[in-house]
Amino acid sequence: MIKFLLLLVLPFLFIGVINKTKAVISGRKGASIFQPYFDFFKLIKKGLVISETTSFIFQTAPTINLACVIMAAILICIFHFQGDFILFAYILALGKFFSIIAAMDTGSSFEGMGASREASYTSLVEPASFIIISSICAIGKVYSFESLAKILSFNNKVWVLISVLAIFALFSMILIEGSRTPVDDPTTHLELTMIHEAMILDNAGIDLGIILYSNALKMLLFAGLIASILTPHSILGTIILIFTVAVIIGFIESVSARLRLTHIIEYTFILITVALIIMALSLLNLYGGLI
Amino acid sequence: MIFLFTSIILFVFTGLAQLVFKGNFKARIVTFFSGIATTLGLIPTTIALFKIQTLTSTIGFNKLIGNVNVVLDPLSAIFVLIILVVGFLAIIYSYKYLEPYKKDLSTHYFFLGIFIPSMLLVVLVQNILMFLICWEIMSLSSFFLLLFENEKKEVRQSAINYFITMQIGALLLFCGFILLNLKTGSLNFTDFHGQVSNTIFILFLIGFGIKAGFVPLHTWLPKAHPIAPSHVSALMSGVMIKTGIYGILRILTFIEIPSLSTSYTILLIGVISAFFGILYATAQRNYKKMLAYSSIENIGLITISLGVAMLGLCYKNSIMTGFGFLGVFAHILNHAIFKSLLFLTAGSIDSKVHTKDCEKLGGLIKSMPYTANLFLAGSVAICALPPFNGFISEIFIYLGMLNGLDSRNHFLFPILMLIMGILAFVGAMALITFTNMFSTIFLGNPRTEKAQEVNEDSPKSMLIPMGILATFALLMGIFPSFLMPLFLSPCSMFLKTPLIVPNQILTNISIFNLILLALTSTLLIIRVLLLKNKVVFKHKTWGCGYQNMNTKIQYSNYSFSRPFLGFLTPLFIRQLDFKQVKELFPQKTHFKSKIIDIFEFYIVKPIVEFDKLVISKFYWIQSGNIQKYLLYGLIFLLITIVMVVKL
Repeated sequence: MIKFLLLLVLPFLFIGVINKTKAVISGRKGASIFQPYFDFFKLIKKGLVISETTSFIFQTAPTINLACVIMAAILICIFHFQGDFILFAYILALGKFFSIIAAMDTGSSFEGMGASREASYTSLVEPASFIIISSICAIGKVYSFESLAKILSFNNKVWVLISVLAIFALFSMILIEGSRTPVDDPTTHLELTMIHEAMILDNAGIDLGIILYSNALKMLLFAGLIASILTPHSILGTIILIFTVAVIIGFIESVSARLRLTHIIEYTFILITVALIIMALSLLNLYGGLI
Repeated sequence: MIFLFTSIILFVFTGLAQLVFKGNFKARIVTFFSGIATTLGLIPTTIALFKIQTLTSTIGFNKLIGNVNVVLDPLSAIFVLIILVVGFLAIIYSYKYLEPYKKDLSTHYFFLGIFIPSMLLVVLVQNILMFLICWEIMSLSSFFLLLFENEKKEVRQSAINYFITMQIGALLLFCGFILLNLKTGSLNFTDFHGQVSNTIFILFLIGFGIKAGFVPLHTWLPKAHPIAPSHVSALMSGVMIKTGIYGILRILTFIEIPSLSTSYTILLIGVISAFFGILYATAQRNYKKMLAYSSIENIGLITISLGVAMLGLCYKNSIMTGFGFLGVFAHILNHAIFKSLLFLTAGSIDSKVHTKDCEKLGGLIKSMPYTANLFLAGSVAICALPPFNGFISEIFIYLGMLNGLDSRNHFLFPILMLIMGILAFVGAMALITFTNMFSTIFLGNPRTEKAQEVNEDSPKSMLIPMGILATFALLMGIFPSFLMPLFLSPCSMFLKTPLIVPNQILTNISIFNLILLALTSTLLIIRVLLLKNKVVFKHKTWGCGYQNMNTKIQYSNYSFSRPFLGFLTPLFIRQLDFKQVKELFPQKTHFKSKIIDIFEFYIVKPIVEFDKLVISKFYWIQSGNIQKYLLYGLIFLLITIVMVVKL
């Protein structure tokens, strides 16, 4: 329960730490780490401009997306049952469905472009995540997120390899689903280069605040999964790990550029390769470990 | 049981009434008596399903056919359920849908009155000859139903394609049943236990697979469904192709433990059908063709689940078998509901804009809000997203595969993992397909006058059946535990040990869905409250300062799917007819793109061309000359007399 409340409060701090890291590496002082909170409250106080082309979908979709991401957080923290990682992936897909149709609702080519790119580039994340998590579950014998917490207790030398690969895969998923460099540059203002940003061009005011929050919460969820692999039982360890992840994301954003659009698919394929390696490791483990 | 017979007779009566009564009265008779027939038919069905009973009655025919057992066991009952429910809702819908065509509807309702009872009889009878007779009646009546708009050449060609393909399938079924009869000497299904060899099973798999729409036998489906009137498409896609699955399941009841190769074959067929089905669906412009390919994908999903269940039987993993069969029956029921919903909404759009090309539409959500919301509900359901019912069957399939990882078998483990990955990819493709189609048809600005001129939604008698189906889809997703008996009782026919009901998982999903709905409503209310005193005004969509915005600027169907399909190119072929502009100044040019179904282009077409080449040598036989035909008759008689005399 405490973990769930923390997850609800921390997303903007996560973004703040990333931005502060980027600023410090660029040699600037940067905004305070609480700046995203101030931005959010500023956005809530504003009104909205709604396009005439849109329908009720444009106005309700950010809220539906937020509800879906919060339900995904509930799933990680509170509910645990067999097959819950499947429900996790599908509830996030429901949020994605509505954000894509809300983008197409505006009838603008920018949003359409963003929606189509977002739909195609994130399509390969689900297969990889299913294979990774079910391989880990096959070793841990529990088909839910709880087996992630058990990786450190795996015997043989398998747990080192699996935890390193799983953390790498989850980290890549943060970059892909959270629309960070090298998949998508969140600071660009050239529409032709945008993926996620282009989808939300017409959103303003509270909708924009909600979208920023749900995006950050999604990244925080995957960071929370990484934390549950490394420090499954301590809350302080989770918080420290989450902010370490934020600093690393800030570092990667500062030193890398966004990939060419045709190369983003190749980047997503790395996830599938990692998934297949973890599957092979899990298969070997069924037959008595690596040594 | 008498209720079912009465129900069948009432349906046939509605068909025959077309020949007797006149005018408006006919449609009322059809609706009224179909309603009574449906209610009567549902009574024994619910008893069979909820109490896991088998109702039998025997009709004696002459010496040739023998005694025909008409058996309503739980396996048949679930199919009877979807036939009656979808059939009745389609009939209510057809009343106002067929009215604008200004044609005589008697023929259509006659064949509709024969089609539904023939499907009922197919799943009920247990005698070879009666089964084949009812199968043929089903194929023939659906052929005539397809020919509603027979003044169009495309309709006639696709219908004849369907007819020939169905006869090929029936031929294979005949062969399979003849082999079974030779082995056992009986016409009754009950005598076939343990007699099904691998050859016979393959014959039935291909024969029933042609009806079900397995890839590569699916080429008739994307041709037949777009040209049919929408309620017929809903019936065919939601119900008729499931009779193919029923056939395979019935043959499986004759087998004690399936062989490993059979199970892997079925799994492979399922994976290929699911993958190629949704791949072609993503690329379509014709929204009904997209829905037809999506049906192929869902049949693939049902087959994957069946393959998982059969593997569970082979490896004696009872949890895997349980979830596998639960997935099969849950998806049969769920797909019938949301696919019929989608086809009926597609018909509703078609009846207003008179085009099947989604690139000519747009912005219909403002003029047809109910249809748009129902199509949205259908799309969310078919992408297997919570809180609708599609997710329930999908999670059964995944759980079946997950529990199969336990089997300690080094071949099964990577196969199940890879299939799980492919299933997730298929789900992602379904998401792309349906967001694409929904956005192109309903959202944005109208692209042509056809879409702009729509000013009202479909009439209530068309909206109510769709609303009922959407409500079922939502309720089944939120409260799946109430419907567990519906899925459980057919499974009991295949499992030796009683099924461990996954109640805990279903209750968790129920609570999850309820919290989701509550959270969404709360957040929406909070948003409205927060916006109360703020300035909200309407303006044009932001266009980056561009002055001359028109409707061509928005993303189209082709552009949305292009990045995704770009990296899957070898699997389907896009024929481009593009005159590139090579000079410096603007020039007139054109661009045409066409998707070719590789199975049709590389497998079916060469076979048909070869057949035409061989048969063209014999065209001289059919000269059209009556004298020559009389000569053929005379020669045949002479040969027969000579043979009889010699013997």
